Amino acid sequence: MAITIQIPPPLREQTGGRAEVEVSGATVQAALADLIRQYPGTATKIFDNGQIRPYINVFVNDEDIRYLDELNTQLTDGVVVALIPAVAGG
Amino acid sequence: MIDTPSLERYSRQMRFPPLGKAGQEKLLAARVTLCGCGALGTVLANILVRAGVGFLRVIDRDFVEPSNLQRQVLFDESDVANNLPKAEAAAAKLRQINSTVTIEPIVADINRTNIEDFCQGADLILDGSDNFEIRYLINDVAIKHNIPWVYGGAVGSQGMTMTIIPGQTPCLRCVFEAAPAPGETGTCETAGVLAPAVQIVASYQATEAIKLLTGHSAAINRELLILDVWENTQRRVKIAPLAGRKGACPCCAQRNFAWLDGEHGTQTTALCGRNAVQVSHRVQGKLDFAELARVLQHSGTVTYNKFLLKFHLVENGSPYEFTIFEDGRAIIKGTDEPEKARTLYAKYVGH
Ligand SMILES: [Zn+2]
Repeated sequence: MAITIQIPPPLREQTGGRAEVEVSGATVQAALADLIRQYPGTATKIFDNGQIRPYINVFVNDEDIRYLDELNTQLTDGVVVALIPAVAGG
Repeated sequence: MIDTPSLERYSRQMRFPPLGKAGQEKLLAARVTLCGCGALGTVLANILVRAGVGFLRVIDRDFVEPSNLQRQVLFDESDVANNLPKAEAAAAKLRQINSTVTIEPIVADINRTNIEDFCQGADLILDGSDNFEIRYLINDVAIKHNIPWVYGGAVGSQGMTMTIIPGQTPCLRCVFEAAPAPGETGTCETAGVLAPAVQIVASYQATEAIKLLTGHSAAINRELLILDVWENTQRRVKIAPLAGRKGACPCCAQRNFAWLDGEHGTQTTALCGRNAVQVSHRVQGKLDFAELARVLQHSGTVTYNKFLLKFHLVENGSPYEFTIFEDGRAIIKGTDEPEKARTLYAKYVGH
């Protein structure tokens, strides 16, 4: 199952500059695990003690997983998972 | 009743059907508090003063510096040469643009002790700031006193904005539960920023302001708008279902105003006779020194051990030394002014 994870600019140093990574996984949890398998440096940028860092939101096809099924949200072939951290500057 | 000649300058926006003369009169009667007058804030002030917002309070703690001129549209070289505070320099420019509205510049560090006064009587609060501490303070005040506000942020080529109407939309904490810890996401000093990114975000914020002030809240953006001017992307992600997060939002559902009450945020203490200020910033967990060092090495020299991180930088010819502890506390040598120390902390360490 092909899933695209969109990587925000602050995490791209950990993905060799890549803005999108193809992963597989039936849930958001599994898809993120595959991302971390490919790019281990992303682990601590995304998770803190097993929880997604509170300033990073995860969207599946532009829907926030906090009103879906959190990390257990099911993924289907071709969906886009976006990691979106708060933007601080201005 | 306002006579017609004085409205002539607004004729083009009054011809825009949703506004009309009635909308213009609402703008002229409106009171707005603008928190921060940097890249976002100067664009916001410029648009709103030209649009005829009747009263604009502009609050900023900083002075105009050469590195501001690339994107902060109200400032010029003479403001740098005269070492003017941003709020005063902006007010002078804004009064030349529109002498018929009232501009109130305030040179101050926005914090939990003064923000309620600054926002009292405002119909709307605008985020022109560059850090999450001020944004969570604005969010607390806005929810507590039922005042709409518009968040905007930009770093690099990316920006985002959302509009908060208390009781109607998700608040900032519904969407972003906590601020990034120091050093974890870029600031404009560490990651850079393109002027168009921040100016587009501010232009969206200003449009939201015009809608809200003229009674067109049905037209506001109820999603999180995210754009990247380098990658040519713009997306709207759905946040409406997060409103109150099923009663769990500490701010808008439980009315626990943690930033306003001082449970979060930054406290400063001048260390007398040492030309240094201690900045105490509460973080969740511990700082990652390796990551912070990686970010800061672009701006100065960094060394760290298990207990502390030292960061030396020279800014406008003045040397500063940061000693940062893993709980987020820092001692900044090279100044005895708390506001300068907070500015330096926000710029380089961020929050
Ligand atoms: Zn909320």
